[in-house]
Amino acid sequence: MSVASEDKTTVARGAFGDVRRAASGDATESSARRLVPHTSILTARLLRRWGRDPATVLESLAMPVALLVTVNIVLGNGISQLTGHSALYGSVPLIAMVGAMSGSMVGGIGLMRERTDGLLSRLWVLPVHRASGLLSRLAADAVRIVGTTAVIMCAGLVLGFRFRQGILASVAWLFVPIAFGVAFTMAVVTLALYTANTIVVEASEIVWGVLMFFCTGFVPTHEYPRWLQPIVQHQPISYVVEAMRGLSLGGPVLAPVVAMLLWSAGIAAACAIPMAIGYRKASMRG
Amino acid sequence: MTDIAAVRPATSTVQQWWVLTVRVIKPTLRNGEFGTQVAAPIMFTVNFYLPLKQFMGAFTQGTSSYAQYLMPLIALVAISFAAISAALRSATDSVQGIDRRFKASPIAPLTPLAARMSASMYRCCIALVVSLACGYVIGFRFYGHVAHTVGFLLLVLLIGAVLALLGDLIGAANKNPEATTPLLLPPIFVLGLLSAGLEPVERFPSWIRGFVRNQPVSQYVYALRALAGDSTPAAGAVSWSVISPPLIWLTAGAVIVLPLHVLVSTRRR
Amino acid sequence: MPKRRMPNSDNAVVVDGVRKTFGSVVALADISFKVGRGEVLGLLGPNGAGKTTTVDILSTLTRPDRGHAEVAGHDVASDPAGVRRSIMLTGQQVAVDDMLTGRENLVMFGRLQGLKKSQARSRAKDLLDHFDLVDAADRSVGTYSGGMRRRIDIACGLVVRPEVVFLDEPTTGLDPRSRQSIWELVSDFKEAGIATLLTTQYLEEADALSDRIIVIDHGTIIAEGTADELKERTGATYCEIVPRDMKDLPAMAEALGSLLPEQNRAALTAGSDRIAMPAADGPNTLAEALYLLNAASIELVDIALRRPSLDDVFLALTSRENGDTSAMRVEPEESEGPSGRHRLERNGDTPVTRVEVGEPGDASGRHRLERNGDTSATRVEVGEPGDASGRHRLERTADTSATRSDAEVLP
Repeated sequence: MSVASEDKTTVARGAFGDVRRAASGDATESSARRLVPHTSILTARLLRRWGRDPATVLESLAMPVALLVTVNIVLGNGISQLTGHSALYGSVPLIAMVGAMSGSMVGGIGLMRERTDGLLSRLWVLPVHRASGLLSRLAADAVRIVGTTAVIMCAGLVLGFRFRQGILASVAWLFVPIAFGVAFTMAVVTLALYTANTIVVEASEIVWGVLMFFCTGFVPTHEYPRWLQPIVQHQPISYVVEAMRGLSLGGPVLAPVVAMLLWSAGIAAACAIPMAIGYRKASMRG
Repeated sequence: MTDIAAVRPATSTVQQWWVLTVRVIKPTLRNGEFGTQVAAPIMFTVNFYLPLKQFMGAFTQGTSSYAQYLMPLIALVAISFAAISAALRSATDSVQGIDRRFKASPIAPLTPLAARMSASMYRCCIALVVSLACGYVIGFRFYGHVAHTVGFLLLVLLIGAVLALLGDLIGAANKNPEATTPLLLPPIFVLGLLSAGLEPVERFPSWIRGFVRNQPVSQYVYALRALAGDSTPAAGAVSWSVISPPLIWLTAGAVIVLPLHVLVSTRRR
Repeated sequence: MPKRRMPNSDNAVVVDGVRKTFGSVVALADISFKVGRGEVLGLLGPNGAGKTTTVDILSTLTRPDRGHAEVAGHDVASDPAGVRRSIMLTGQQVAVDDMLTGRENLVMFGRLQGLKKSQARSRAKDLLDHFDLVDAADRSVGTYSGGMRRRIDIACGLVVRPEVVFLDEPTTGLDPRSRQSIWELVSDFKEAGIATLLTTQYLEEADALSDRIIVIDHGTIIAEGTADELKERTGATYCEIVPRDMKDLPAMAEALGSLLPEQNRAALTAGSDRIAMPAADGPNTLAEALYLLNAASIELVDIALRRPSLDDVFLALTSRENGDTSAMRVEPEESEGPSGRHRLERNGDTPVTRVEVGEPGDASGRHRLERNGDTSATRVEVGEPGDASGRHRLERTADTSATRSDAEVLP
């Protein structure tokens, strides 16, 4: 395993020491055993990197919170009169998803920058699992989404949002946005890997803007024009909102969760291969 | 050998202004920015009107339709969006150092600013036209005098001008184009949503009604509604009490921003 | 079963017939070379020559279209993972995470290569010491100066000992002090038995650091050898003497006597303003010339030994590759017959070369080119049969990397 015997040099200068790779019998980089440690190291790197930019962090949290407060002020009364419940049961999950989706763009642009800087190539040349780079981005995003959801939940609690379905449901509530949030990030990352122009990625803002306004968390379904109602009902964010409404206020949980998972799995499946190919292309050169 | 350093032609401020204006406008026609300029008002219309048409329709105090009620706000949001782009442009310029180059050339110090303002007004005009087209689609109409209609258009453009000036100043002072845009969008949305443009003041919680009623966006909206008119008397009559608040806000804005900006622009470091 | 490293060969890098095309552009057209263990190979070439593509292929960032390449015994196509375990790559851009601190970067690279956390930490400490980055260790790399960034970049590649190091233009844009420290590093590599492949545009860097140099242009190797060998090829040292008064030239020529060979004497024309003569003994020749001229009381403006620098080599080689047609002129010194001495003029100056025609009576065909008394076995193919005068195509086959220079054939 070690090739120390082949080297006849006696120099052990500080730069080189005698450190060899931690070799083991199964030394291939792409073994399953390596995937988790490599991915977790790279995920930690991304989280640390995002955390070092407090301005962006603040802005990515302040915007949704401000939006939540505003929407609640503008629509809160009207909706609670209509539905008999606080509008927050719809708007808090909705804004949590907005926070998740608007942050995906930042990750996408960061990826593009790392591609230009050559960092992706550098990481590719290291003996790490080939999938770890991409998985780390998704893992870091999942962590980000949970964090954003938690902050928005706190804002909601201040405004009067309450959990009514018990501890288990409340904890599950916190993690529901991950499913579709990561799927959305996959779509954004795939887009980022195939374009050189950041504007294209920024255009993803339009997507979540539309999803936000045409969602059952914004105004109840029957308020929308008849021809729009099916679309509003079946769009993925509405399912997320309804699942979370069920977990906090009460109501059906299984059906919306299943539908949401179908949406997420569909997007993930569609993006998986192009994303992997695109990441490889972005790391290699020809 | 030809004389490379030929006679220097006299500079014409008007020509310089035109060249610089075209410089800002031309790329937008190529790189898709024109597309966003057209798409933005459409997006605002669709996003605000369709979900809220029925919801708000009951509350809109006798206006002929929610479209008539909502239109001024759509125009304002579209104009603000156009004004933000102006800010981005000026920030990019200052970051790239081109304004420094301008300052060292025989260009009158205010010409680049004037050119950026012209380009911003071009953007605002596009935003206004597209907004009106969208409004027409959803049912908005001008019911008043020709004079009032012209007043409507002028007021919107004037608001755009002051906003563009403000945005340009922020961009020039801030020097970080990537950080500037996200900073400016949320206040616009918040002010726009917390105004009388979306729903009547009475629908708001009591503690915020004062703010909602008196903030400039609401004042603009009242004036624009009056100028646009309506088939019912709900929009209110065009009177000095309706028109003066927006004008006061605008004058105050201009009076503060314009000298500041001239200061920043003509400063030769 | 772990793959065997360095099976039979002693070579750290083996490139054999590699070809790479990007669309319609041929980046590499059939290159082959080797790098031995502990050797420093300099890859020299203008922009777009194919240097970076070569490094990309060897570091598994690109796949070759054809051919075979091995790094540390691992084939780049079939065992890229093995290659990645053995190398360190420093590209033209500094590629570390600029929002992490230097220390965090080092620890991360260490852990990614299999070190335990504590090991990675202590390696990081050692490297920070060695590269003099201790004060900046806990600042983010984005705040580092250019030289520091390059150092942390290289340090990150050394957390685990590589067997082959690829340095792609490592000192571009660095201040002289930083460049010096990189140079010292390369000699450290050498001492430690690590093979280095260095690409550079700085000729003095290739000269100073490399054991061997390969010159690449347009995707092919146009020259290979040590720096000295390459310089020899362009022409040996000669001594250039410039008198204060041009009219003194004949007197100078006489004063120099036997020091000045016949050809050079004959080469002096009315318009010459200096004497160029071979300096076989280098400085001694110069001293002698000076003595002789002093004795003759001839005033000089300049006397110097001129040796073609690697710059000249480079320019000469690459310009020829570009089809520079002002290559050679062969003038027969004896009017009858192609046999005998000819003066070989290159690019307008006279490096005093002799052409001995091997087959008399026929100007066409092979001729032996003798230069300054040594026979570097060069071939002159005369384009126009029957006339030895005029321009000829010179093909040099001093070694197997046949350099060609296409000369225009005058009617």
